[in-house]
Amino acid sequence: MALHPTPCGGESRGAQLPAYAELHCLSNFTFLRGASHPHELIERADALGYTALAITDECSVAGAVRAHMAAKNRRLKLIVGAELRLECGLKCVALAIDRAGYGRLCRLITRARRAAGKGRYALTRADLDAVPPEGCFILWLPGERADAAEARWLAERFAGRLRIAVELLRAGDDGARLAALRSLGGELGVPLLASGDVHMHVRARQRLQDALTAIRLGVPVAAAGSRLYPNGERYLRERARLARLYPPELLAATVELAAECRFSLDELRYEYPRELVPPGETPAGYLRRLTYAGARRRWPDGVPVSERAAIEHELALIAELGYEPYFLTVHDIVAYARSRGILCQGRGSAANSRVCYCLGVTSVDPQRGAALLFERFISRERNEPPDIDIDFEHERREEVLQYVYGKYGRERAALAATVIMYRPRSALRDLGKAFGLTPAESARLAQVMQWWDGSTAIGERLRAAGFDTGSAWLERLLPLAAELVAFPGFPRHLSQHVGGFVIARGLLEELVPVENAAMADRTVVQWDKDDLNDLGLLKVDLLALGMLSALKRAFTLVNDYRGTHHALGELPAEDPHVYDMICRADTIGVFQIESRAQMAMLPRLKPRCYYDLVIEVAIVRPGPIQGDMVHPYLRRRCGAEPVDYPGEEVRAVLHRTLGVPIFQEQVMQIAIVAAGFTPGEADALRRAMGAWKRTGGLDPFRERLLTGMRDKGYPDEYADRIYRQMEGFGDYGFPESHSLSFALLVYDSAWLKCYEPAAFTCALLNSQPMGFYAPAQLVRDARAHGVEVRAVDACVSSWDSTLERRADGAPALRMGLRLVKSLSRAGADRLIAARSAQPFTSVADLAARSRLDRGDLEALAAAGAFASLSGNRHLAFWEVAGTERPLPLAPAPRQGAASTEGRPLLSAPSEGEEICADYASLGLTLGRHPLALLRPRLAAASLAPASELGRAGHGAAVRTAGIVLMRQRPAAASGVTFLTLEDESGQVNVIVWERIGERDRRALIESRLLEVHGELQCQDGVTHLIARRLIDRTPLLGELLTRSRDFH
Amino acid sequence: MALQLRSAWVRPAGGPRRRASLHASPGPSAPAVPAAAELWAAVHLTGPDPGEKLQRLALRAQAFTPRVSLEPPDGLLLEVQGSLQLFAGVTGLRAAVTQQCRRLGTAVVLAFAPTSLAALTLARAGRALAVTEPAQLIGRLAPLPLATLRWPDEILGRLARMGVRTIGAALRLPRAGFARRFGVAQLAVLDKLTGRAPDPRAAHRPRERFRHRCAFTCELESHAAILAALAPAFAALGSFLEARQCGIVELECLLAHRHAPPTSCVLRLAAPAADVERLAQLLAEPLSALTLPEPVRGCQLRSSVPVPYAPDRESLWQPGEHGGGLTSEACGLIERLRARLGPDAIHGLALLEGHRPEQAWGATDPPAAAGRGSAATGRTGSRAAAHRPLWLLPVPLSLSVRDGLPRRRGSGLRLSGEPERIESGWWDGGEIARDYYTATDLHGVRLWVFRERAAPHGWYLHGVFG
Repeated sequence: MALHPTPCGGESRGAQLPAYAELHCLSNFTFLRGASHPHELIERADALGYTALAITDECSVAGAVRAHMAAKNRRLKLIVGAELRLECGLKCVALAIDRAGYGRLCRLITRARRAAGKGRYALTRADLDAVPPEGCFILWLPGERADAAEARWLAERFAGRLRIAVELLRAGDDGARLAALRSLGGELGVPLLASGDVHMHVRARQRLQDALTAIRLGVPVAAAGSRLYPNGERYLRERARLARLYPPELLAATVELAAECRFSLDELRYEYPRELVPPGETPAGYLRRLTYAGARRRWPDGVPVSERAAIEHELALIAELGYEPYFLTVHDIVAYARSRGILCQGRGSAANSRVCYCLGVTSVDPQRGAALLFERFISRERNEPPDIDIDFEHERREEVLQYVYGKYGRERAALAATVIMYRPRSALRDLGKAFGLTPAESARLAQVMQWWDGSTAIGERLRAAGFDTGSAWLERLLPLAAELVAFPGFPRHLSQHVGGFVIARGLLEELVPVENAAMADRTVVQWDKDDLNDLGLLKVDLLALGMLSALKRAFTLVNDYRGTHHALGELPAEDPHVYDMICRADTIGVFQIESRAQMAMLPRLKPRCYYDLVIEVAIVRPGPIQGDMVHPYLRRRCGAEPVDYPGEEVRAVLHRTLGVPIFQEQVMQIAIVAAGFTPGEADALRRAMGAWKRTGGLDPFRERLLTGMRDKGYPDEYADRIYRQMEGFGDYGFPESHSLSFALLVYDSAWLKCYEPAAFTCALLNSQPMGFYAPAQLVRDARAHGVEVRAVDACVSSWDSTLERRADGAPALRMGLRLVKSLSRAGADRLIAARSAQPFTSVADLAARSRLDRGDLEALAAAGAFASLSGNRHLAFWEVAGTERPLPLAPAPRQGAASTEGRPLLSAPSEGEEICADYASLGLTLGRHPLALLRPRLAAASLAPASELGRAGHGAAVRTAGIVLMRQRPAAASGVTFLTLEDESGQVNVIVWERIGERDRRALIESRLLEVHGELQCQDGVTHLIARRLIDRTPLLGELLTRSRDFH
Repeated sequence: MALQLRSAWVRPAGGPRRRASLHASPGPSAPAVPAAAELWAAVHLTGPDPGEKLQRLALRAQAFTPRVSLEPPDGLLLEVQGSLQLFAGVTGLRAAVTQQCRRLGTAVVLAFAPTSLAALTLARAGRALAVTEPAQLIGRLAPLPLATLRWPDEILGRLARMGVRTIGAALRLPRAGFARRFGVAQLAVLDKLTGRAPDPRAAHRPRERFRHRCAFTCELESHAAILAALAPAFAALGSFLEARQCGIVELECLLAHRHAPPTSCVLRLAAPAADVERLAQLLAEPLSALTLPEPVRGCQLRSSVPVPYAPDRESLWQPGEHGGGLTSEACGLIERLRARLGPDAIHGLALLEGHRPEQAWGATDPPAAAGRGSAATGRTGSRAAAHRPLWLLPVPLSLSVRDGLPRRRGSGLRLSGEPERIESGWWDGGEIARDYYTATDLHGVRLWVFRERAAPHGWYLHGVFG
């Protein structure tokens, strides 16, 4: 103990420094307590020459994998453990000695987490007795006053594995504390060791730690008082400091204990579930049997010889790698969905195999598309689990999830976690509160940031919004905000992954702790998909896809109406009319190719076959765009540029795409054949591409790629483009394997739109929310294609929109009650039941017999659904207000008071009011477009309608105004915002360059009705308006309610 | 005075009776006979913070009519039928009222109508009209937005969805149907608005304080004589408070002199009191401490706003017994000390949450009798708190240093124990980073000293142990 300070003490006695292992260290995965990332802690501990570091997050191992990967990089020994705080106040750290001990620890954490709501845990001494953490060292963390009873209780249970953690943090009585713990340890025969209660890797994080504490407590920092730590000693301290503070034997004890902890996360081995194979069969035999059974269905006239050979080849490869259980797992889930009539389709690296085609996982007919080489999707060299994502109808995916839970049990199946990170807005909001702002003020602070703003813009945005960034509190806040949002983002809490399932053979909770998610009946593991990937654990993504729901509905509608038997993947293939429609960019509602950017591409790319669609889906993505691959491809496609190959090696890779790399797989293949990467290296590259935003690890590959390609004679410029494309893939990597599956859905949805527009629109309306367009645009588009759309009517409409047969036999679309805002499902069901018994005669009759409450009645009145019963909306509301809530058991009043009242003198709503009310309740109107009403005023202001812009021609200066349908700020289009405006005559696509967007930022962000001055740009039949000036005209709309959809 | 005026100028009841012609349709509030011819002036305060100005305006409005009633937060109603002639009709009255408002520095809208609610509604709608003929009333009200009636948003919303957005549209609805849908209360409002139903209003009574002035028959110099001369004033105070069942927390005594400006003597109490004798005794303390510039010729006793006061309950237990606390005795002591040492000389002490020694305690108001339980909520001392001295210097005192160790009064200090490190307070600009030690000086006095963690690592004395 240093009784006297040594103000100029030497720190550099390197050789004599004692060895030390920190055994009690929280990372920021102890949310709102730990103030450093796992990798920061590992790197700092390594730099300080620690022998080992234990990451002991509070009742969690959520940060363990990240720490593990960082530790492997640094070759530092990592010990996996957890800090446990019991409800009685007892605190300890459990450190896994071996695999068994780690499993016990995970079970204990699971037990504590499952006993409490999301994000919390509950642990008692009884839990420690029920699931004793055998195979773990226990470090007792004495409270402020060491309670001997606690130590005794632990010593009775964990004798030999118990240590007393002495944490000397300069509280003023360190000496006395050490003495007291020494005597207690001597009395009980429990050894002591040093530890540091580490919350941050460097002392400089103390401010952030204080702020996080305040956020956790929900009080301003200034009011947190003694609940903050008194000083910044809870960091990874230099060994020289530790040597002055602790007796040498306590430091030595840490190293001894660390040496005994042998467990590493590398020991975790994934084992496939057993029950997939019927008794008496081997996995390989069973998979073969299923595959050939499927092949006979796919090729009823006999499996072609070539296909049989390909299947044999695939099965051999699967057997070699031992992946049969994975395919069987996927098959089992898909078979279940099929049996329940749930539409589904697989995609991903292994999904486009013939085996999957035979198993029914996908419908990608290997003969329809390009011949696929199975090794493109599964390779011998890449020792990683094959990747199959399965999309299900979004409304029925839950059934599949519950099937998986039911089949394997909650002990063996759980969802992967998603780590929610601080974003600029949430960081400002939370820090604002920690600095004593009211919730409203914090919200205002956070509102400054748009979702597209990067972390670097915070200070700039605040200044622009009128905050004085020079003020003292903001000067203190901003660095903290920067730390919270800085790469890779500070974790805030765990949420559930959209659909990544982890299924284990044994108890999952011995592999990784399982905790409750916010949704009832959901459990998540403590690791996210990257963590699982890093450890090579199997995950099946069961995703929800709205388009599958819509297609299912559309098929049912068409088949019912026409008596046909259409099904997914079985529509007439390669229909030229469908491709004509696609080439016209008449694709509102069609899967994937309905977005603005896609619609702009279609007339240029002019898809004429299935594989063109595969390319179309993949080409409008950041990868090809950043790699400058789009224009070369288009030029080659229309013959303006010869198809050539920069080298012979790449011909095989690129011939499908006219010599231009489009897909992620192609880029990787180029790295192999042209830059001399081994397949293993290429795989590392692929993973780096997926994670380079997270770990920033792409640079090492750049040199390797450039020199490799230069050696083989490729120009540097070409290599550089390939590299940029890789960076682009990092954001939204879009592999061919996914595109192949998606293109099937593109074709099927386009076919339906082409031949059955009423049913297609009806199905889309019934599957909302989904897709790019709101019901208003879908209905407008359907009417433009000659579909008769009928209004919501309480006397006719069902819950869903339906098809009605017109006199001429064509279907008309009747809008369903589900479009009516705030109408309850239960109320609508009662209404339909009462109506089927006997038609309604009046609103009062309807209200009485359907027992609707006031809210439901008003919702219907607001939607104009009573028009056939009461006349206009004003009268409908009057009648609804006059209905009395029926008493249970009392006979329904028959035409009582209401009939004696007489008809009120109510004015009829104006056209504008009707349109407003339509939008407010249904989100769309069958009446005129609201801008048609404003047209005289717009015309007076010299604002041209959309239909007239086309006539103006390229380069013309024009002014227009429209309702903002969409704002897009694609990551690939640095700072450019794309707007879609709509008026009564059509839509205008506006491009707002960053400079204009910054200048007219408020108008850009807040307008619902926007006036744009700019210049027309016409190219290949695609017209854009380049904005020069934006003016907010929202007040003209009055109370017209339209909501734009903002896309990230 | 105003009362006399009113009785002299009031017009006989009755007025024009035009029964059914007021409104043709049998609307919900087609008025019957107006109860009596009344004319209401409504003042709508449009400026910011109308609440406080409303009180003052109400006081001044007594000059126009005794029938003043308040519509907080921003409305004032005056029944002025009787006052019209005195102020030269509506025009004159409007000018007079507007002038008063201008003096108060507040912007207003002033409207006249036969019913109070109609006048108020017109004023709130910003229509500075004078509707003196009941027959014109509905025509004037009809175009006004319903929102000016300040009905609940829910009701206004439902009406708006029927296309009913003006008062006129509401009046056109069938009465029974209207009442069934929106309640009789709303119908009653419409009836009061049009005069179909009477709308009695409570007259405003201004808030009062005690004021008593007395002139002495001769000039007094002795404090005792002054106190004796105050006896009638205290007696008046006693009956004032008794009649209202109130107590006071502040009492000011202004002593008037021949030339010098009046001397003020203020008594501030820890809890409301109504016992005049005690008040007199307490006032005697500051009074006797006063130095009077001249003899006293008269005095004025002024109280703060009276607060409701329940007479002292005698506790069942004596202080110290079975939880019987220091009730009025502690209060009495605090008041006595305050009276003697000045109102700001007494304060309480509280431990505050925080690691910085400077911020670990703070001054509070002395505990009032009612709040005696709550003031004792200090923190349970942390283990470090045990090492803190009771006497803390207001500002740390810089110490000289030799060989890295602090010195005081020419001799080195002996450091004992181990450092307590405190690093905190970065969020309010009062950041500290210090290592605290206990030190002993030449005379064996134990001192609390610290060394700055930042360069130049200065040493400071911060406290002395007892």
